[in-house]
Amino acid sequence: MRLLHALLSLALLGALHASAQSREDIVLTGGPALRFMEHGKGDVSHDVYWFNFVDASVIRLKELKDQAKPEELVTWLIYRPAYAARSQEMGMDLLAQLRDKAKNLGVRLVWFNSKEELVAYFNKGLDRDKIKIGDFDYFGHSNKACFLFDYSNTIDTMSIAWLHVKDLRLIDRDIFARDATCKSWGCHSAEMYSQWWKDHFGVPLTGAIGKTDFAHGGLPQLSNSDGKWAQ
Amino acid sequence: MRLILFSAFLSGSLLLSAGPLPAQEAVYQAPTGEAPPVAPPLKKGSPLDHLVNDPKLAEPAIGYKEGRTEGDAPWIAHRLIDEAGGQGWGWVKKSDAGWGSAKWIALQETPGLAVAPHRKLLKADADENWEFKFWGKFASYKAYDPRLDEQLPVFILQGYEVIGPQPALDIKVGPPDRIEHRPSGASSRDNRPILSDPGVD
Repeated sequence: MRLLHALLSLALLGALHASAQSREDIVLTGGPALRFMEHGKGDVSHDVYWFNFVDASVIRLKELKDQAKPEELVTWLIYRPAYAARSQEMGMDLLAQLRDKAKNLGVRLVWFNSKEELVAYFNKGLDRDKIKIGDFDYFGHSNKACFLFDYSNTIDTMSIAWLHVKDLRLIDRDIFARDATCKSWGCHSAEMYSQWWKDHFGVPLTGAIGKTDFAHGGLPQLSNSDGKWAQ
Repeated sequence: MRLILFSAFLSGSLLLSAGPLPAQEAVYQAPTGEAPPVAPPLKKGSPLDHLVNDPKLAEPAIGYKEGRTEGDAPWIAHRLIDEAGGQGWGWVKKSDAGWGSAKWIALQETPGLAVAPHRKLLKADADENWEFKFWGKFASYKAYDPRLDEQLPVFILQGYEVIGPQPALDIKVGPPDRIEHRPSGASSRDNRPILSDPGVD
């Protein structure tokens, strides 16, 4: 009888463990430009403030943590090379600051160095048969066809790390929960990216028509009066 | 014994089903409604300090060298502004090859060693149709130009010498995909060029 109790308990424990983490909420954060690259560009000079994407991400992460059920993981994916380069330029250890922010929030911090690493995390970072992505937010540079994790950080006005709409096919179609909520806080995503996203993953991606503005602190706002959020 | 087993089971299940430990420190408060911090003072002698404070020239100085320029220059470069709005730098070819073999490139500067010649000029296009000896190499990766939804080969600049102004080249401007009219991955949904500024800030 005791043996039966023990076996039943172990079986129940195993079942609980498998379902312990059934959803993951992801905040994906791209990197800032270097001031060297953006110097002299006047009003269109990007990323004067180095943590514009980070501050917005932190706000969203805190919201997710506050809403998360015990079985939900909250993960912060950050494009590391851009912050390493900006650290070097500024003489400040921004990577340590990012680690502290993640620790203070109680979220998992996952660095990535390339599109390939990001795709690998989406597909295989966790057991996607069991742990689906329930919420996704992107903070970073973008145009309507691309998320730009690197922008004007390695090459002036260009990117060496991006996720183009045609790269979405590299990501497994079934990584998201059926009721997943996805949003790009970058510029122009709803003008093209959202459609490709829905076609590939089957879940909507809310994005901006027009530009977004991170300069006010808080979550980004639409830059223009004729802009809007759409899917 | 049943109680012990049940207690052990309950403890174990709570342990396993708990999420990440709650934050042990004060939660970061992002600024709301206030202007974000400004950049710290320039580091004296840094590439950005030189860029901001060094005197600027009207045009490149012929014979000027910067960076690693030992030995014969393996590359010759011709600066051109892309009228289509792309951010490509210009053409690069091997020194002993013709311009027909040249590649339209994205220029990756090496701050602290060698940066684009136009950084020293009053106007960024004041070196248009100037030629340079280049030292450096092609990168294994490509650059994405968000304004035109194009990918370009990347030349990593490690040194250069100013040759001087030259006649304009009679070569079609842009990467092969543009010249050969190959559609971008996004063009089935929209016409190129993208021309959407990725600007945020």
